Amino acid sequence: MSVDRTAPPAPGLLRAFEFPPSTRARLASGVDLEVVHLPRLPLVTALLVMRAGEDRLAPDRGGLAVLAGDALEGGTEALSGHAFAEALEAIGADLDVTTGWDATTIALSCLADRLPRALELLASLVRIPAFPEEEVARVRDGQLARIRQNEMDPARLAESWAARTLYAAGEPYARAALGDADEVAGFGREAVAGFAAAFHRPAGAALVVAGDVDPGEVAALADRAMEGWSGGAGVSASPCGAAAASERRTVVVDRPGAVQSEIRIGHTGAPRATPDRAELVVGNAVLGGTFSSRLNLNLRERNGFTYGVRARWGWRRGPGPFLVGTAVDTGVTAAAIEEIVSEIEQIHSEGPREEEIEQARDYLAGVFPLRLESTGQVAAHVAQQHLHGLPRDEWSGYRDRVRAVTAQAAHAALRRWIRPEALQFVVVGDADHLAEALALRDLGSIEVVRG
Amino acid sequence: MSLGLELHRRRLDNGLDVVVAPDVSTPIVAVNLWYGVGSRNERPGRTGFAHLFEHMMFQGSKHVSKNGHFEFIERAGGSLNGSTWFDRTNYFETLPSNQLDLALWLEADRMGWLVDAISREKFDNQRDVVKNEKRERYDNQPYGDWLERMQRLVWPEGHPYRHTVIGSMDDLDAADLDDVVDFFRTWYVPNNAVLTVAGDVEVDDAFRRVERWFGPIPAGADPPGIAGSAEVPVPMAESRREVVEEDVPLPRVFLGLRIPPFTDPAFDAVEVAAGVLGAGRAARLHARLVRTGVVRDAFVYPFPLATGASLLLVGATGFERSDPARIEAALVDELERLPDLTEAEVERALALEEARLAREMERLETRADRISMYTQLFDRPERINETLERLRALSIDEVREAARAWFAAPHRATLTWVPRAPTERTATPAPAESGAPA
Repeated sequence: MSVDRTAPPAPGLLRAFEFPPSTRARLASGVDLEVVHLPRLPLVTALLVMRAGEDRLAPDRGGLAVLAGDALEGGTEALSGHAFAEALEAIGADLDVTTGWDATTIALSCLADRLPRALELLASLVRIPAFPEEEVARVRDGQLARIRQNEMDPARLAESWAARTLYAAGEPYARAALGDADEVAGFGREAVAGFAAAFHRPAGAALVVAGDVDPGEVAALADRAMEGWSGGAGVSASPCGAAAASERRTVVVDRPGAVQSEIRIGHTGAPRATPDRAELVVGNAVLGGTFSSRLNLNLRERNGFTYGVRARWGWRRGPGPFLVGTAVDTGVTAAAIEEIVSEIEQIHSEGPREEEIEQARDYLAGVFPLRLESTGQVAAHVAQQHLHGLPRDEWSGYRDRVRAVTAQAAHAALRRWIRPEALQFVVVGDADHLAEALALRDLGSIEVVRG
Repeated sequence: MSLGLELHRRRLDNGLDVVVAPDVSTPIVAVNLWYGVGSRNERPGRTGFAHLFEHMMFQGSKHVSKNGHFEFIERAGGSLNGSTWFDRTNYFETLPSNQLDLALWLEADRMGWLVDAISREKFDNQRDVVKNEKRERYDNQPYGDWLERMQRLVWPEGHPYRHTVIGSMDDLDAADLDDVVDFFRTWYVPNNAVLTVAGDVEVDDAFRRVERWFGPIPAGADPPGIAGSAEVPVPMAESRREVVEEDVPLPRVFLGLRIPPFTDPAFDAVEVAAGVLGAGRAARLHARLVRTGVVRDAFVYPFPLATGASLLLVGATGFERSDPARIEAALVDELERLPDLTEAEVERALALEEARLAREMERLETRADRISMYTQLFDRPERINETLERLRALSIDEVREAARAWFAAPHRATLTWVPRAPTERTATPAPAESGAPA
């Protein structure tokens, strides 16, 4: 039996993949319900997505949305924090609250036959949260400790300096989502309960349930669980995400003794709902979105400067950051920055080549089902669709849209959103050993600050 | 709930152990290879080599170019990676099921013909990449070397688990091309590997394809045993401690205890006891230490180390002004009290474990990896369906006994991080204190 090893074997016939359809309903509370029937395993995930993100907050209230989400751990008027945890875990349920820029999401996952009890518990957190004084104080202290920890983690430090550098002062995105220690230290029960009363509300919220469940039954269960929950400010929120500068600027954050430089290069990006997102994602895959991207092949595989480098777009309601990020040996910081800038400038001016676009399209269309294996992954996609008001066919038409992207269209999207002249540079590293990097031309004004 | 996964196993003539686990519910397939070699097999002076070698496996083989492995799989719409651990090295691809042959071709090519494609240039490049991985993930991180320090406290000189998977910079520098060839011929033989194919396949067809790509690869010599002895007293016969005063944000305490290895039947009760102590927010660590404000977070993790003995790790992070001695005392108190665990606590831990095990099966990549693990370490792929049943069969007395014998053992390793005083940090003039990276 001989086999030809000299070339990759031809693929067989591709089996179709469809994004699983969901059933929509409006619950009595005003919450939009989406149920996705996934019978593969006896599991279910329920996501309650509320428009209670950090972008709702005035500059001096940063971190309050995160705290209000995390302080739900304090339990309800019916069950103390510990009793609530016991009730959940007695049925093997896992509950996780995440607060980002756009939303607070309560994620619940359990065996499908435990859903009725689990939904009751989930709903009680937003209907009748208790926010006991001492639990709020404890969770707040935990948040302060995380803020402190992030200040000493070079990668996170680089991210928060990038936020501060990219966005105009006073913009929510200009700070870390966790807030600043000085302000967070002042938050107590009253602030938290006030935020929850205003924003942990059904208006504009969605409940996404994905798993081995019956859509009709879920609607009845959810209505019962959420009875009495009402109000809220809905979807309206002021625009955000203005850039700080239209010319290049550099911030060096000095960490004496650091063995690596954490580098972030970019500017404000595109909002999640931008109609040319598919083109931008395909173009970015060529620049720095995959292992085989230009940036990674250059900095890692050709030069050995780094363990890895990526170009990312932060997808938010407003324009999140576009950032190329990597960590390199201190001695090659200047060379790494030059290579990154040159890759960005080149793809901006000349665009991706046809065969690169083909590879990126195939990759993105192919991995799509791989990102939808679990009930949690499917639910998160549906939730995103709801949160950003994306078209009904956002996911069912995703692969077709990606496959339709041409090199020309990807180049147009990159040219529209990438602004080489406005790149902001953040380097977290040992400033004493960065003389070569600081002498680079084209970095704009350079400011050195203490880490 | 039994997962009831369908499993088929055959061994090729060259010794390759193959498991096929069909599931046609999604049009994707996962290919996963476990080679029976990890950092425990490294010889003195070559720590970190198993992992550096793993990087070389992505640098092309006789019929695949330097970046070909990643390019082909990404092009096919797949995901891929590899990882090195104490006991094994794994390589895996998940991709649309019509591309199964592509993954098998790539894996077979590097199992059979890696040596044809290695070069000094690739080796030097990947050594730089790995050194940057070490800097990024360990050296430039607060508490970054915690595991290295813990390993030195828990395992004696010469023990195969005493050094880290990432290894030392000196040893990485000392490694050479000859080592790559030797290592490959010694460990990367079909008779030292398990191959799992899980997902959208037809069973006989999958075995035929595996046979076609891997069958012609000749068997190698039986792989040697582990360098040094893994046999140590369990639990530890004496206590060890280390205090690190460094520029870290918060005090942190790690306790390390020796426990029976993952492959020992006694490990089951360890897992349940660990769940009572640390799984979920109603667990003892959270209820008694976190919710009461003694520490900011706390965890327990029984390492699944396969040989001789394993490591039970318990740890907590305090607040800025916490007294590390108080954190340590609180953790020790919980270990000593654990033998009074109740039926209700065990039930809670099992309910969480049941859901966790089901969730682990959602992604084919994880599913295939678990099957390879059970096949290689237990010679029993079916274990993936039996885990919950096995845990449920334990009596409360067995769990209590595990708590008494291993968690409440009189000796342990204690590793404490104390933040350096803030005044000292800000007063340090930047130039004088700068390290000089090479």
